[in-house]
Amino acid sequence: MGFLFTTLIFIAVGVLASLLVRICCNKGPSANLFHLTLVITATVCCWMMWAIVYLAQMNPLIVPILSEE
Amino acid sequence: MGSVEGGCCPPMDLFRSEPMQLVQIIIPIESAHLTVSYLGELGLLQFKDLNAEKSPFQRTYAAQIKRCGEMARKLRFFREQMTKAGFTPSATPLTQAKIDLDGLEIKLGELEAELIEINGNSDKLQRAYNELVEYKLVLHKAGEFFHLAHNDATAQQREIEASHGDESSITSPLLDQEMSIDPSKQVKLGFVSGLVPREKSMAFERILFRATRGNVFLKQAVVSEPVTDPVSGEKVDKNVFVVFYSGERAKNKILKICDAFGANRYPFADDLGTQAQTVTEVSGRLSELKTTIDVGLVQRDNLLKTISNQFEQWNLLVRKEKSTYHTLNMFSVDVTKKCLVAEGWCPLFATTQLQDVLQRASFDSNSQVGAILQVLHTKESPPTYFRTNKFTTAFQEIVDAYGVAKYQEANPGLYTVVTFPFLFAVMFGDWGHGICLLLATLFFIVKEKKLSSQKLGDITEMTFGGRYVILMMSLFSIYTGLIYNEFFSVPFELFGPSAYACRDLSCKDSTTIGLIKVRRTYPFGVDPEWHGSRSELPFLNSLKMKMSILLGVAQMNLGIVLSFCNAKFFSNSVNVWFQFIPQLIFLNSLFGYLSVLIIVKWVTGSKADLYHVMIYMFLSPTDDLGENQLFDGQKTLQIVLLLLALVAVPWMLLPKPFILKKQHQERHQGQSYQPLHRNEDSLEVEVHHDSHGHEEFEFSEVFVHQLIHTIEFVLGAVSNTASYLRLWALSLAHSELSSVFYEKVLLLAWGYNNVIILIIGIIVFVCATVGVLLVMETLSAFLHALRLHWVEFQNKFYEGDGYKFYPFSFALLGDEEE
Repeated sequence: MGFLFTTLIFIAVGVLASLLVRICCNKGPSANLFHLTLVITATVCCWMMWAIVYLAQMNPLIVPILSEE
Repeated sequence: MGSVEGGCCPPMDLFRSEPMQLVQIIIPIESAHLTVSYLGELGLLQFKDLNAEKSPFQRTYAAQIKRCGEMARKLRFFREQMTKAGFTPSATPLTQAKIDLDGLEIKLGELEAELIEINGNSDKLQRAYNELVEYKLVLHKAGEFFHLAHNDATAQQREIEASHGDESSITSPLLDQEMSIDPSKQVKLGFVSGLVPREKSMAFERILFRATRGNVFLKQAVVSEPVTDPVSGEKVDKNVFVVFYSGERAKNKILKICDAFGANRYPFADDLGTQAQTVTEVSGRLSELKTTIDVGLVQRDNLLKTISNQFEQWNLLVRKEKSTYHTLNMFSVDVTKKCLVAEGWCPLFATTQLQDVLQRASFDSNSQVGAILQVLHTKESPPTYFRTNKFTTAFQEIVDAYGVAKYQEANPGLYTVVTFPFLFAVMFGDWGHGICLLLATLFFIVKEKKLSSQKLGDITEMTFGGRYVILMMSLFSIYTGLIYNEFFSVPFELFGPSAYACRDLSCKDSTTIGLIKVRRTYPFGVDPEWHGSRSELPFLNSLKMKMSILLGVAQMNLGIVLSFCNAKFFSNSVNVWFQFIPQLIFLNSLFGYLSVLIIVKWVTGSKADLYHVMIYMFLSPTDDLGENQLFDGQKTLQIVLLLLALVAVPWMLLPKPFILKKQHQERHQGQSYQPLHRNEDSLEVEVHHDSHGHEEFEFSEVFVHQLIHTIEFVLGAVSNTASYLRLWALSLAHSELSSVFYEKVLLLAWGYNNVIILIIGIIVFVCATVGVLLVMETLSAFLHALRLHWVEFQNKFYEGDGYKFYPFSFALLGDEEE
């Protein structure tokens, strides 16, 4: 599960979601474009969040130091 | 006017407000009323007041409005009466034959008169009844006094007689004999009886005593139950009193005092025979009155019931009529007095609907001439109208609360639908809390139909209105909660094993040097091993801080791109070249570069100090980076970026005012030389241009404006990026608070091994979670997300100086008057 692979999953989910939205609520071109924009924005936001957290842990400069208990 | 083409995007819902047009409608006077009421049903036209200079009384339909006002008053009276009698207007309006206004007016008048008469009669009867009740009380209590007094007197008499028999008694007073024997010397005492309110009774007694210099005898008896006062109709605690006095002057004084104290007097007969007679008389009349009153009440209830059946219908009709006449008053009367001329804004898509309505109205009113609809060209800015649905309304309201979009300007509401809940969730990342929030909002959404019809409290109303915002917020919180790996602050290994393990089997140095990364990076979210470790905070702080910067830079860039969309849409190339491009360059050469550095540092695992890099990029750009170098050619790149940022500032500041000045001069010259060739096309072109063209062009003003704008952007780039750090701060606060509640309350209580302590612990935990984390933290994260959108995002492109489209619509009537 590398970075690129999960990114591909995100893209696939995004495409799938936009297709679903297109099929489920087809309300004319302007509404469809609106839905598409929403789905893309949401996917990009979620991907960014994941990517940031993933990248930050890829080459750790600090590692977990367990507390003494 | 209202061209949909242009701009960088094809038409999209909610991105730009609906194209509007100013229409003029000429309506024959005989069909005017029907036309307007049909337009009210349609609700897509915002009329302009063409009689703004006239006072309400000078307008054409002032009399009708007055009539409607009078009818509304009557209806309010009926509503009052109905609520007093405990009737609620039936919610389902009966679809009866259509009533016209005149008929309704007469009917309302009749009903009102009838109701007033019934009320008057029943008031009178009630008063008489209450008086009789009081009278009866007086008779009863005063009768008791007299009876007692009489008994006492006879007992005394007997005693005296007995003592007469026993002459040897020395103690018997000498005077007694005389008094009892000489009846001719007895003073004729008068008395007044009645009721006095209990709280005044002390004062009453004192005043009586003073006024008559003690020459009265007052006897009071408490009436145990409150008595209805005939005058005020209120329940009051009262005392029955009997005042004995002697002399006419004392009597007058007493009567005056009684009046002043609101003490009702009732006649009371001396001798027992008449007393008994009055008692029976009063009782008889009481029961008589009671039946009369009951009959009256039944009659009133029947009347109110008939009213309540149709009340809603009438109310609606009157309101509609009133608003119709208000609208008609905005029209100007044609010189021939046969037509009314209306002007108003309507969305472009409604043109055919509008024409249909006009046709139908003129047909239904048997008018010989139809209404004429024509589109006017104007330089005025049209109102802003977004067609929102129940999902997008709340998001649009978030934007509108800051300022209504300028006509057809890019609407931040579009992205707000996603970015607002997302930024909220970044601060509220905990999937346990997210699920709680989701359940709460699902409750509102499932009960949507029921709740939307009833009146809610202030806070509930607000929550209900924002139910879809909260839905999105909770969904994103669940997602970010999974990323942060926090479920009520507890991590789970949901996506595979942790990447970290002990260095060796003994695990000796796991608390000193730490674990070692043995597997691939944890695939989704924060590694569970971080939780509770000593290095958790440094790691999360660094991660969340950098994440805030990255998200912030991304959102600000989106804002700048939207300013490009605006410039393109309004075909304003000056803004593209001298605002959008330098802004983009400035922001990205500083903070875009910082973002890149962050990512490069993560990917390469370099130990470079980014603070140091950024600070020395300004202080000494030519110095060697040394160990802080992340990639080759970094120094050159930094110098180039710094230069670009430095160039971008005067680029933003200087050219635009000069170009605007030149444009204005060109246009001005064109106008002064060929004023006669202006046709409608040129008018239209002009509308698209800046409004600067029409006014006097003040160069200094434009320049200062641009200066402020530039300074705001340059300083804003720094302060806004810093402002996004609130994402880090709030998310940190949230996770720390929830872990404190979990560890210091729940786990502590668990450690005692005592059921009672555990239950108390759970209760405290639930209360703290709901009160602090779910309510207060939600509010604070909401407000911070709001600020990030209003200030940091929208100031990049949003003008927000438009005004809202407010159509004349019967559907909107209800909410506004209630």
